Amino acid sequence: MKTVLRSVVAIVCVLFCIVGFTGHGVAADNVLKMATTTSTDNTGLLDYLAPVFQADIGIELQWVAIGTGKALALGKNCDVDVLLVHAPSAEKVYVEKGYGTDRRELMFNDFVFIGPPSDPAGIKGQTVIDALATIISKKAPFASRGDNSGTHKKEIGLWKTAGIAIPDKDAWYIQTGQGMLNTINIAAERDAYTMTDRGTFIKYESNWKGTPPLVILVEGDSSLRNQYSAMAVNPERCSNVKYDLAKNFIGWMASDKAQKLIGDFRLMGKQLFTPNAK
Amino acid sequence: MDYLAGGFLKAVYLLISGDPETYTAVFTTLKVSSLSITASMVIGIPLGFLLGYYEFPGKRQVRAIVDTLLALPTVVVGLFVYAFISRRGPCGELALLFTIPGIAAAQTILVTPIIVSLTATAIESLDRRLKTTLLTLGARGKQIIITNLVEARYAVLVAAITGYGRAISEVGISMMIGGNIKWHTRTITTAIALETGKGEFAVGMALGIVLLSIALAVNGMLIFLRRRS
Amino acid sequence: MTADYPLYHLRDLMYRHGRYFELDIPELTIDHSSSVGFVGPNGCGKSTLLRLLAFIEMPQEGHIYFNGTDMGRNNTNAAKQEVTMLLQEPYLLKRSIFENVAFGLKVRNDRKEIKRRVYDVMELVGISPKIFARRKWYELSGGEAQRIALASRLILKPRVLILDEPTASVDQESASLIKQAITECRNQFGMSLVIASHDRVWLNSVTDMVKRIHEGRIAGTGTENLIPGPWEETREGLYVKKLTDGQVVHATKPARIDSTGILNPSDIVISLTRRDDISAQNILRGFVSQMTIEKDSDNVLIDVEVSGIQLLCRLTKPGVEKLHLIPGKEVWAFFKASSVSWY
Repeated sequence: MKTVLRSVVAIVCVLFCIVGFTGHGVAADNVLKMATTTSTDNTGLLDYLAPVFQADIGIELQWVAIGTGKALALGKNCDVDVLLVHAPSAEKVYVEKGYGTDRRELMFNDFVFIGPPSDPAGIKGQTVIDALATIISKKAPFASRGDNSGTHKKEIGLWKTAGIAIPDKDAWYIQTGQGMLNTINIAAERDAYTMTDRGTFIKYESNWKGTPPLVILVEGDSSLRNQYSAMAVNPERCSNVKYDLAKNFIGWMASDKAQKLIGDFRLMGKQLFTPNAK
Repeated sequence: MDYLAGGFLKAVYLLISGDPETYTAVFTTLKVSSLSITASMVIGIPLGFLLGYYEFPGKRQVRAIVDTLLALPTVVVGLFVYAFISRRGPCGELALLFTIPGIAAAQTILVTPIIVSLTATAIESLDRRLKTTLLTLGARGKQIIITNLVEARYAVLVAAITGYGRAISEVGISMMIGGNIKWHTRTITTAIALETGKGEFAVGMALGIVLLSIALAVNGMLIFLRRRS
Repeated sequence: MTADYPLYHLRDLMYRHGRYFELDIPELTIDHSSSVGFVGPNGCGKSTLLRLLAFIEMPQEGHIYFNGTDMGRNNTNAAKQEVTMLLQEPYLLKRSIFENVAFGLKVRNDRKEIKRRVYDVMELVGISPKIFARRKWYELSGGEAQRIALASRLILKPRVLILDEPTASVDQESASLIKQAITECRNQFGMSLVIASHDRVWLNSVTDMVKRIHEGRIAGTGTENLIPGPWEETREGLYVKKLTDGQVVHATKPARIDSTGILNPSDIVISLTRRDDISAQNILRGFVSQMTIEKDSDNVLIDVEVSGIQLLCRLTKPGVEKLHLIPGKEVWAFFKASSVSWY
């Protein structure tokens, strides 16, 4: 019995070594791990940019699309090397606290409110504040990201600006806890309103070949601006992160070439992101 | 109806045309589950043998613990392993998060109790005369262990196939540890779970067909083997 | 040769199972190349003794010396591999017949001319190798399986072959083939035999020595009659055991009420008629159930069934002829109360 136990322990150790080595192998030297929002992923922008980045700089970009809140947490845990998110105030605090560094604004679009074409609550054309007030007074079904993402933080901020308490426990306020496209789909299923970034909405539109079940009802308000920035995870806190590769990435995204590519990215002929790196 | 039919047709097309996204997910699943079933068997079969063959104080308690671990929810395993292999965790140095070996390691934790428990049962179910027969024919030590496992081979194979089925169809671990990274850690199950919500219904369906076929094949083998033993 | 030590020497051997003891053998010696039989009712400890001799179990107290080596202390595999045992119920490994027979050799890494040796021993037990070698373990009848199990032991040319009721679970043809094969091997390479069997006739023919085991102890040679208690005291100072048909057996005072009485077959006299004018207290009516010739003598052993018990009686050949005894014949058995001795 003892010999069998000993061999089992030996094999387990061997396995861990193998896993460790192959694990290291996968985190090969020219692989850059990024945590990002669902909007940059869902739209297909990253699928579009990553091969060019690899061809130009020789770095392979691997990204986990999970929403800004979780992305910032991953950076804090040193589990990724670079972040691409869209929650400017949270990002600034993040840098101040020393979790992130080399923050750079890269592109922007805007948020829009979408809903069923019949617009049962009648928010079309209203300002953001009025629309929110209408929604809550009519208890119109509204799908929220509910996941601490950049979009979600923006939404919370707008409720606050409107002076309305978040209807956290109300049945008509649907907190999906999921990514942007998923949330839009849920809203469509429930005939609900929701707030999304324009880029993801255009992707949604193209999925439906131009006639999606939900349409834009409120847009253009100055409070709906959506700024995307990249940050490197602070190497002083996280000794393992590939800081140089992260800087390469951020630099490349701000380069003229990449900025032009971003602006040229279109679906159904519409532009999704406007480059604005300085 | 159109939605389903259209999705199904597109799914078949994806499979026939060898769509790279679809097939990468399939191969990733196969890679991960092969790693995990191998590790589980290497660890689990000897432990299962020990548990089944020998009497020792506390044997019943150990067996009860193993049988309870059979019901481990995948998300719970995913959660605990995540805490361990995240950079901030104790095994952070191994850089396993968001990698195939990482998913495989966590799946091994899930599958090993299955192998241990079913192997122990297989050994316990062997005829009591086997032990005497082997001793009187002069078999000792390692020969006894190997012969026991060979005699129980169908039941051990059933254990392996059952474990494999569990590994292939789990989502919680693959999602939390793998991160569903396209081309790298996107498995059949994470793709179905996460892509379908984004509207990629045809891809989800295509992968669903593949997974269903694998599950049917796995169960078919189980039925066949049960009859043989 | 290793003639300095006997093949087996058991000393002060005790085997316990829980709180009560199963075997209590102060002394037992078995010589090389000998053949020993053990008889006794189920549960008497026969199988346990066989398992101890096969080194499958170890006694709680006492010593087993095999060829001079104390097996309790020096658990050498080499010594253990010289002894093999055939189980009562046929049992084969889940593989082909060939692999079953070859298993013991492969375990010992003895693969020279393995095919020929397997084929030869299969012929020996009456199973055609050409037809059966490739067959699977489940394709044999019980008797065939037991013969293959035997073959897988004989092929090892063991020094000792231990058999636990080898013919009990098989058909007649297989039983006789098994007996033939064992005798052949004994003649060929002097294999020692330790056999437990209810088949007294066969046992007598194939063994040099038969011992009876009774309640864990060695008790005589298996040809005595055992009359178990309980015994009741009578007014005359004798003790009686009531039999099922109303007849009684008389004996002198036993050690305990439930002691077992021993009656030597030579002490029983047979008559065709009942006689009351004799001194013997025991006058029992029964009928002849079995008659066999005793080994190495001219005596005839007769089983007389009295009230469900078999009483073994030893007669001379002339005595049998004089009475024209045949199985089924009603007879009367006489013996003195004092002939019944006690453990």
